[in-house]
Amino acid sequence: MADRRRINGPPAGTRPPVYASLKESKTGVSERTLRQRQPTELRKFYLKTGMIPTASGSSYLEFAPSAALAAARSNPKSLIPPSSALKVACTVHGPKPLPRSVPFSPNLLLTTHVKFAPFAARKRKGHVRDTTERDLGVHLETALRGAIIAERWPKSGLDITLTIVEAEDDRWWGDAPDSHDASWGMLNVLAGCITAASAAIADAHIDCLDLVSGGVAALVSDDASTAPRLVLDVDPAEHRSIQSACVVAYMPARDEITELWLKGDSSRAALEKSDGRTGHEALIDGAVDAARGANTILTDAVRESIARSFAQV
Amino acid sequence: MSNQRQASSASQVPHLSPAELSYLYTSLSLPKNPIRPDGRSPTQFRPLSAETNILPGTNGSARIGFADGTQAIVGVKASVEKTILAADTLDSRSLAQHGDALNREGEEGSAAVSGQGEWVQMSIEIPGYRDDDALPVFLGEMMRESLVGSVAGGSEEVKEMAGGLKGRLVINKRWHWRLYIDVLLLSQPLAYPLPLLSLTTHLALLSTKLPKLKSTGEEDPFFDDDWAVAEYLYPRSNKQSSPSDAPTYPVRPPVTLLVIAVGENVIFDPNREEIAVADAVLAISITRSSDSENMKLLSIRSIDPPSRLTQPGIPNSENVNMLGGPPASSNQSGGQEEVGGVWRPRRGGVQRSVITRMIKTVLQKGGVGEEVIQGLEGVKVE
Amino acid sequence: MPLDTSTTYPLTKLRLDGRRWNELRLLQAQISTNPASSGSSYLSMGNTSIMCSVHGPAEGRRGDGGSAGSGHAVVEVDVNVAGFAGVERKRRAGGSDRQSTRIATTLRSTFQSHLHTYLYPHSTISIHISVLSADGSLLAAAINACTLALVDAGIPMPGLLCGCTAGMSGSASTPRDPRHDELDPLLDLSLPEEQELPSLTVATTTVVPVGENNMDEDEETMKVSVLSMESKVHATYLETMLAVGIDGCSQIRELLADVIKGSRR
Repeated sequence: MADRRRINGPPAGTRPPVYASLKESKTGVSERTLRQRQPTELRKFYLKTGMIPTASGSSYLEFAPSAALAAARSNPKSLIPPSSALKVACTVHGPKPLPRSVPFSPNLLLTTHVKFAPFAARKRKGHVRDTTERDLGVHLETALRGAIIAERWPKSGLDITLTIVEAEDDRWWGDAPDSHDASWGMLNVLAGCITAASAAIADAHIDCLDLVSGGVAALVSDDASTAPRLVLDVDPAEHRSIQSACVVAYMPARDEITELWLKGDSSRAALEKSDGRTGHEALIDGAVDAARGANTILTDAVRESIARSFAQV
Repeated sequence: MSNQRQASSASQVPHLSPAELSYLYTSLSLPKNPIRPDGRSPTQFRPLSAETNILPGTNGSARIGFADGTQAIVGVKASVEKTILAADTLDSRSLAQHGDALNREGEEGSAAVSGQGEWVQMSIEIPGYRDDDALPVFLGEMMRESLVGSVAGGSEEVKEMAGGLKGRLVINKRWHWRLYIDVLLLSQPLAYPLPLLSLTTHLALLSTKLPKLKSTGEEDPFFDDDWAVAEYLYPRSNKQSSPSDAPTYPVRPPVTLLVIAVGENVIFDPNREEIAVADAVLAISITRSSDSENMKLLSIRSIDPPSRLTQPGIPNSENVNMLGGPPASSNQSGGQEEVGGVWRPRRGGVQRSVITRMIKTVLQKGGVGEEVIQGLEGVKVE
Repeated sequence: MPLDTSTTYPLTKLRLDGRRWNELRLLQAQISTNPASSGSSYLSMGNTSIMCSVHGPAEGRRGDGGSAGSGHAVVEVDVNVAGFAGVERKRRAGGSDRQSTRIATTLRSTFQSHLHTYLYPHSTISIHISVLSADGSLLAAAINACTLALVDAGIPMPGLLCGCTAGMSGSASTPRDPRHDELDPLLDLSLPEEQELPSLTVATTTVVPVGENNMDEDEETMKVSVLSMESKVHATYLETMLAVGIDGCSQIRELLADVIKGSRR
């Protein structure tokens, strides 16, 4: 739907001018930064709760910028901006009474609202939520509803709002727009949203079965000859192509998955001979491992939140 | 507001009492042979009637109706569009090429030939929902994702489909087809409408024709006026043993199946009541792998099971009316235990083993996925 | 030579699609197409095809409040023109456009007065129309489809309400010359004709002949219930167009009556 209420920027974004002298020098062209982490090594991230005092619960999550990004910031060599790192703020309002128009519900009703800041992605996002944002909202709701013990708040509603301040890239920005055929960055955004929302819900003291955290695994191929291999917590900007990726929302204490989103062809995965799993099983297991990793940080952040609320009492 | 709430729970909760839910759950979770309300076997689909090419004004169309009266109509329209190399795609690498070899301009556009997922647009209309409500958006993205994602793996006989559907839409470096898939649900959905919409879209795409290209190479495209020589979007192979045989397709569009798990059982094509008691609901998109006979997985999405929103039943031990006195346990945790025959809304997620089993039932040789695809292969698309 | 009716018709006395001036397009219809609704129909006039389903009479929604609480049933009409209906794919914002809203308003007021709504107090009859392919005479086709679906739903009405379009074979902007009549009226216009020529939509109803009544009395009970014209024509032509349109309506009435009789099992 077109946004007619505001003056919008050009839909495709703009490009900074490139001067001829830069084009001729070799430094104008940079190569893709490759993944320096081990396949099973996750990125570090920062998670803190209670940043927004007006909300009943809130959290802020930020992925550590990749080494290449840090290097590029201090010593810019390339015209191509390096990869971005996810930054998400989450607020939880409620539980609060439902408006009169809503029919009786024996359970806590969740409303999830995912919104990208206009400047979050390389392509400007409008103020009206578009299909990807709505789609992410549904995924997130599925993930959270499984974790919340909803029957303890009949006739109540819970509003969860996520603002993506900086989104994950779908591809390396030096690649042509179609080299990565799908919006792989969305999977990382969803995983971050799940973890952040889980922390904010805990911060709002809503009863949950367990802390649910998000994890991503992907099958990537860095050159055309080898079969795709499995990596955890993939950064799409670091790989030539992604065959298949998967995000899960996982509760470690119950060993249960509340949300699963897998896309792409996982049949050609290069697994060890002894490994009897098929590609998609390996992907799901990998994503669960990534979610377990995220859960350790999530637990610490929630413990911090509890300590703070005790200190206030 | 209430409408949006309904939409966001991905499927409406039917008005079933806790006792009915509990009965349904028990009969569906019977080990080995679940009893479904309509007497189907776990892997049996509802009977349906289908026809294709019903609308003369579209490039391809199909209608499928279930016996319960839910019908969907899909119309596919295509238009020629100029491939816009957006400002951000002129990356510095191609700038560098400009710098040292301007005459090699022809080569650098090669990336544009592989097609873009955005060229396939899907819109779903469901009566009672706005087209930007969560349910139509979610369903549309789900089906589009597997459509544009299915890339045929390098078999030579289908060179038109080498880049999947996206690749097929490329005319040349500067022009491409844009495909509009409009899905129309003719009545309020009685069940989660995904299987209906997916099967209808599948047939509509198979019947879709594009006019024959007369121009060659990088010219501005122009087309043969004769609709009789138009080419199918999904090419058909010429080697038919007899004219009466259904034409064979080297590549077919993907199919999305709705699978639920109830207890130990995996059940396909659930109706509205069955979905209401499901422990887990998955939408699994599959297609036939082009280089082998096996089924290939394209995408999985979990769908929020409506059972999480149902009302719990109250066991007799806690029911004030039954005891005639105060309930035995008034604390909240007393209500958390499972009592046989008393409905509890589902909580938590799914075990990995359950997901694996659901996927396996779809993908295995001779499994449901193959059965569905074979059934669709039997449908003769005019 | 541009291929349009106003230039080819005087030469050949044939319209663009090969019809003579008083010929209807092929009309095909079916009722009870959708078992999930109270009544449903599918109707195609040439390349215009429409599906219609009727729900009700049923209890109205709570939100309607005062207006639904009257002694009459309330008719609700929802018109949806599919994105693939026209030649070019239409991008709709918000789901409805001017054309479909106008058709919906006309249908609502027409059927509200046509049906015996006093039989169903406090209830709602909702009609949902999907235009699958649009090739002119949309309003007329929608009226016919609605009539069939309402008959299928068993909602009492005094007679079949049938619509038809009529136009003139030229721009008809000068007064008509009775001695030297070069313009012919046209029946049942297709989309190219509708865009080029003046046209009107008329819908008539008659009391169904019961018992001794025969077709002679048809003229006396005939009532015009819709008359809509949104193009410019000289007033002297109006009578001819109306006469042709009303004649078309009676032709369509026979066709629809056959469809209804034919579907009785």
